[in-house]
Amino acid sequence: MRTHPWATEASVRETWVVGAATNRFGKMPETAREAASRVALEAIDASGLSPSDIDYTFVANCFGIAEHQAHLGPLINTALGIPDVPSCGVESACSSSSAGLHEAFVHVAGGFSDAVLVVGAEKLSHLDTLSATSYFAIGADYPFETRNGATFPGLYATLASAHKKRFGTTSEATGAVAVKNHWNAARNPHAHFQKELGLATYLASPVIASPFRLFDCCPFSDGASALVIAARETVRSTPNEPLIVRASARSGSIADMHDRPSLTGLPASRLAADKAFRQAKIERSQVDFLEVHDCFTIAELFALEDMGFFPAGDAAAAELDGSTAHDGKLPVNPSGGLKAKGHPVSATGAAQVVEVFEQFNHRAGGRQVPRVETALTHNVGATGGSCSVHIFGHR
Amino acid sequence: MSDPVTTVPHSIADYYQGIEQENRLRGYRSACGFVTATWGLVCPQCGRRDLAEVDLSGRGKVVGFTIQNVPSDRFVNDAPYAYVVVELDEGGRVTGWMPSARAEGSVSIGDRVRRVATGRPGVAFERELGPPTSG
Repeated sequence: MRTHPWATEASVRETWVVGAATNRFGKMPETAREAASRVALEAIDASGLSPSDIDYTFVANCFGIAEHQAHLGPLINTALGIPDVPSCGVESACSSSSAGLHEAFVHVAGGFSDAVLVVGAEKLSHLDTLSATSYFAIGADYPFETRNGATFPGLYATLASAHKKRFGTTSEATGAVAVKNHWNAARNPHAHFQKELGLATYLASPVIASPFRLFDCCPFSDGASALVIAARETVRSTPNEPLIVRASARSGSIADMHDRPSLTGLPASRLAADKAFRQAKIERSQVDFLEVHDCFTIAELFALEDMGFFPAGDAAAAELDGSTAHDGKLPVNPSGGLKAKGHPVSATGAAQVVEVFEQFNHRAGGRQVPRVETALTHNVGATGGSCSVHIFGHR
Repeated sequence: MSDPVTTVPHSIADYYQGIEQENRLRGYRSACGFVTATWGLVCPQCGRRDLAEVDLSGRGKVVGFTIQNVPSDRFVNDAPYAYVVVELDEGGRVTGWMPSARAEGSVSIGDRVRRVATGRPGVAFERELGPPTSG
């Protein structure tokens, strides 16, 4: 496997996120196809480009089958008036649209395209909880996990049991993640949950999969998010402050979590983060804020520990002392995260970048973080068989 | 140059048949010592291809678990039940469910378990008799 930070560094073009848009996560009345097309057009408008400038479209829509619809790319491009533009579906479970961003980056940085659209959308709200739980479960290993009784909350809960056993992680610590992310989401007009959560309510919520209570779990959300990626040398002017892509890194790991050496984290996060920091040539301490994959509260602790922001077992203390609040030493998930902003699977990775875009343009209102020079997004597929880490900088 | 294939691992259909009809848990052991029931062609730990088929004991200790109150569709009539990761006595880990572990405190990390035939799809475990060991 290639270990050099960039394959051929001299030939990599500086690449920007010039447009970003998302809709309100929650329950969408329209189809994923409609929502994806609408946010795509909003992102293109935010970039200052026109649809005819788009050279390629990457589309993420894991559960299109739930709407009896696949091959969404041509439908979106046709709706945008660019039917001749090539498109391609990208599937990487919950990290699908960050995988799409990575592919877009490769296209643009490599000189194969000047401007690329990335769009992720999901609609599951027309399904009942049992059906939605079952759809999510197919992202796991069907013969060796799902068929043995696993659900996604169950898989992460099993990891949580090992983390609690080894490090003494308390419900108050995971509760602090939920409380903080709900506080942020309450100030995010695009969030699914726009209501603060108290620790007492968290602790009183029913157990879904021990040790997880209801408020440890992200909701089933509908939603759509889109990004426009362009080569700096082709951008004449932008109506918004762009994000410079300092790193676009992905990693895998042994697919089934039980086959990995440890159950107390996700090794793909460490691998992707190490690769990203080598690409960006910066230190962890230079990151101003993070959007991380908190599909369950414990996953935020995993992200912070696996990526090296805290030693294993120490992230809980940072959550409890307020360090990860939007105005703390290291703000984490100012959007509200998957936990409270919501988790429309294929829209999530792009939505994390939308939050960075809003923060860098100082439009985040009550959840605005104080420093916006460098930000990191972290998006996990399933239980860490896939992981994307992107680092963004200011001009 | 790649290692020659010395053993062709069983199929996923063989794994299912083993559990449901033959009361056996099929897996493989890699040359590096990696043991698993998860299907594969090349060892994910060392990259070697000489995987030896083994019948896994189904005995070991719980290293991670949850009590699932909200199941997926295949287990809709079984909840609550425990989902467990079991470290086998011979090395390697497998997953399964514990139909009898229905309440908080009915299973803990470190508990000794053994595989049981239930006549149902999926690998099932039960606690071994005797006091639980600390993990």
